Amino acid sequence: MSSRTLSVQAASLALLLAPLSPAPALAHAVCGSRVFPATLAIDDPGVGDEVALPTISYLPASLAGVEQASVSYNYTKTIFPEFGISFGQGAQFANGQGWGRTDLQIGAKDRLFCLPDWELMGSVGVNVDIGKTYTNFMGNDFNNYSPALDVGLGFGGLPKSLNFLRPFAITASIGEDMPDQKFTAGNQNPTNLNWGFTIQYSLPYFNANVAQIDNAILKRLIPITEFNFSRPIANFDTLGPAVTTGTVQPGVIYAADSWQFALEAVLPINSASGRGVGVVGELHFYLDDLMPDTLGRPIFGGRK
Amino acid sequence: MKRMILAAVLSLSGVDAAFAHAQLQSASPPVGGAVAAPQEIRLTFSEGVEPKFSSIALSGPGGAIVTGAAATAAGDNHTLVVKIGHPLAPGSYSVKWRVTSTDTHRTQGGFDFTVK
Repeated sequence: MSSRTLSVQAASLALLLAPLSPAPALAHAVCGSRVFPATLAIDDPGVGDEVALPTISYLPASLAGVEQASVSYNYTKTIFPEFGISFGQGAQFANGQGWGRTDLQIGAKDRLFCLPDWELMGSVGVNVDIGKTYTNFMGNDFNNYSPALDVGLGFGGLPKSLNFLRPFAITASIGEDMPDQKFTAGNQNPTNLNWGFTIQYSLPYFNANVAQIDNAILKRLIPITEFNFSRPIANFDTLGPAVTTGTVQPGVIYAADSWQFALEAVLPINSASGRGVGVVGELHFYLDDLMPDTLGRPIFGGRK
Repeated sequence: MKRMILAAVLSLSGVDAAFAHAQLQSASPPVGGAVAAPQEIRLTFSEGVEPKFSSIALSGPGGAIVTGAAATAAGDNHTLVVKIGHPLAPGSYSVKWRVTSTDTHRTQGGFDFTVK
């Protein structure tokens, strides 16, 4: 098989799988009374020392009927209290293609602000999908740069008359995929606009700030729904009309003191996004809580 | 149990396990609850806290209420206590807390309770 054929297959498979590929989760975040948990479809607004191991997903069918499953990890490390780097990779299965390793992803992120009394925080970062680090067509032959802005807002500042709404929080993310090649083996690599948001209701927040919950499991649950979208905005004229793809992911997070487990259904928003219902789960460790004096602290500048 | 397993894994890896980001687990008076006039406010956190770098502020219908200094309960550094100097009249009261855990992570929160 020629290298061009391989590249075309890799590009085609990456294109088919891209709409439903789960993004790696990064850090959880604490701002004032609010703990923003690590989320699965979009990144939360925090920078921290954490490891997501493993993230497991099953997605029944893309537009072309390709079934896929993946197992991945992601590690984030603070260099300074408000600045961290990350890397992650995974193994992915596609029916008819078998297993392969996905591209290595690296990233950097800076927390811009945290207003504790407003439970408002924001960060800016960039992830880079390093091309040709895959095996068995499970990645790209080009580098993909994805800058993003992430924000989070807790509703704890609402008046006490709206006490039962105060555990709500929203997070949102907007960014772009910017491939460093316009074409790869004759296939166009579009620039995509990515955006999404989450709506979450924190029972840990409810327990600590609204009314005590006696059930030990219930008081650690965070029901959540994530909304994740992507749309080509440039360099897609040979690929047909621009179509927004995305998923809606209802689920729940169990947040312990130093780890969390999240489980979400993956619902495609249209036929271009896939068919059927998928599932994604993740075990996530907060290293800043587990190892505050070693791996869990910034290399420079002390603790957050 | 799971925390113990994690701690065991980490100790095998040569890293001391410790836990941080103190979150409020329970309170007396209870969060959002109604009680007879309390003598003290007692907050129990998920982690040990440093009383020197922690505070509990109480306010009521007439404004801020003077309390004693925050101290940890005897033999339990997860629990922070302040004494209330005089009986509280019936009404709605607010507690605001800021704590620093034993490994210096800072958290804060607040809740209301009612005195019957």
